[in-house]
Amino acid sequence: MKRSYLYLFSFVLLVILFILSLQIGVIHLQTPLIKLIGKNSGVDATTVWQIRFPRAMGALLVGAALGVAGAIAQGIFRNPLAEPALIGLTSGATLGTIAVISTGVAEFGSRTNVESAILFAALSAFLIYFLAPQKGFGFLITGIAISATLTAIAGVMISISSKPGVQAISFWNFGSLALLNSQIIKVIAPFIEVGFILALFVSRKLDIYSLGDNSARFMGINPKAVRVWAIIALAFLIGPSVSAVGAIAFVGLLVPHIVRLLIGPSHRKMVGLSAMIGADLLLLADLLVRTIFQPHEIPLGLITSLIGAPVLILLLRTKNAMWVSHD
Amino acid sequence: MIKWHDLAFYRGDKLILDSVSGQLAKGELVLLSGINGSGKTTLLNLIGGALLPSSGTLTLNGKELQEIRIQDQAKIRSIAPQNRTFNMGFKVRELLNLQPANRKALSTDEIIEELGVVEILDSSILELSLGQQQKVSLAITLIQEADFYLLDEPFSAQDATSVRRILRLLQEVAKTKGLMVVSHNTDHLDANFDREIKLS
Repeated sequence: MKRSYLYLFSFVLLVILFILSLQIGVIHLQTPLIKLIGKNSGVDATTVWQIRFPRAMGALLVGAALGVAGAIAQGIFRNPLAEPALIGLTSGATLGTIAVISTGVAEFGSRTNVESAILFAALSAFLIYFLAPQKGFGFLITGIAISATLTAIAGVMISISSKPGVQAISFWNFGSLALLNSQIIKVIAPFIEVGFILALFVSRKLDIYSLGDNSARFMGINPKAVRVWAIIALAFLIGPSVSAVGAIAFVGLLVPHIVRLLIGPSHRKMVGLSAMIGADLLLLADLLVRTIFQPHEIPLGLITSLIGAPVLILLLRTKNAMWVSHD
Repeated sequence: MIKWHDLAFYRGDKLILDSVSGQLAKGELVLLSGINGSGKTTLLNLIGGALLPSSGTLTLNGKELQEIRIQDQAKIRSIAPQNRTFNMGFKVRELLNLQPANRKALSTDEIIEELGVVEILDSSILELSLGQQQKVSLAITLIQEADFYLLDEPFSAQDATSVRRILRLLQEVAKTKGLMVVSHNTDHLDANFDREIKLS
């Protein structure tokens, strides 16, 4: 299918899902959505603009960030398994968030919280980068080990924290958009935008980079510099996302595989569509989370895993799977 | 001119390349030969900047290699590594467009025509045979605009007809550029080259 049609399709889907996210919820709107535009008093207007709108914006932003981060991560590690969670970024961002909240240094959703998440995400990725043996699966295995360590440290910090309500943070293990408000969206949006710009810049080098370190160098690209910039881009995408909604499984892993099947493996082309499809996916997942067991809300990460994992297996079994193992 | 003088390389305390000297000038087609483990690929990696020499000097067009920015090195020399990592399903056409082509010696069309890559332009690189992948790799290297071309074992997966065609193409390129071809099996090839550098 032509790329422009795919963009159009995923954009239309985005608009539909966004409107549905505003329309559907536990409270049934008495007023049609269109008449609520510009209003900010009354139950319906408050529900739509104060609760559902920031939540939908959050799903859009975080979904796009996760999709792009997955594409960059798989490219940079030349490995179809490399999602941000497997390479320490998610656990680093979680620890960065827990560390400032459980000690009372910053409030949830504050700028300091987001900056700490970005910093810890980058530090943990660099730690793995320097500790991992430069061969085979050394990188991924080191990533899994460091991630487990950081997650455990975060768990200990939650358990011993004297701050009331911190224990509720454990919902982050599955991710949730329930705590989002317009203030948090305003704080995380600029950071994620920086992440997008860096990702676009990095993606232009990733196609040549994919041919191997030596090959890239012979073609005028410094593979080490590409890796450093990619990790910084990933930290700006993942840090704010995790600080606001926790760790959401499978989106970062699944989206690039879908995009590659649709338009091929060129990273330059993948970034835009990964953002769109990531946003689509998370909006859809959040809609399901809020509606299928009404009035109960189930954790977002459960739905992304329940849908994402089987879809991923199906994708990998198709004839056009874009990866071969070469070890 | 690419010039190397007393170039040595150790991996750990193992001597891989023992003080070799030599040069490659424009307008010549040179064969770099030697038995397995004699350091042919190491020499190419040193010239490509993928390895740093333990001692000795290495200059590209009169300038120390380390003082030239990586993107500028790629404008002076282009190298086909022995094994390129093709693990994503790029179309051949996409791979050939990764670099802006700007050639004076031979056009991109001539290169892909001579290498017999035209018929597979819209194939996924993953569906191709080893020999075809090697031709694509060679095309990527030759399309990159540079003064010197260094090719590591470009014939290893080629049949006799392909070897003849590739050699004819290289001789054409060598009219204006400098070429060095690494090969360990040179019994019937040496007559096609201007001179031979032997590593031992």
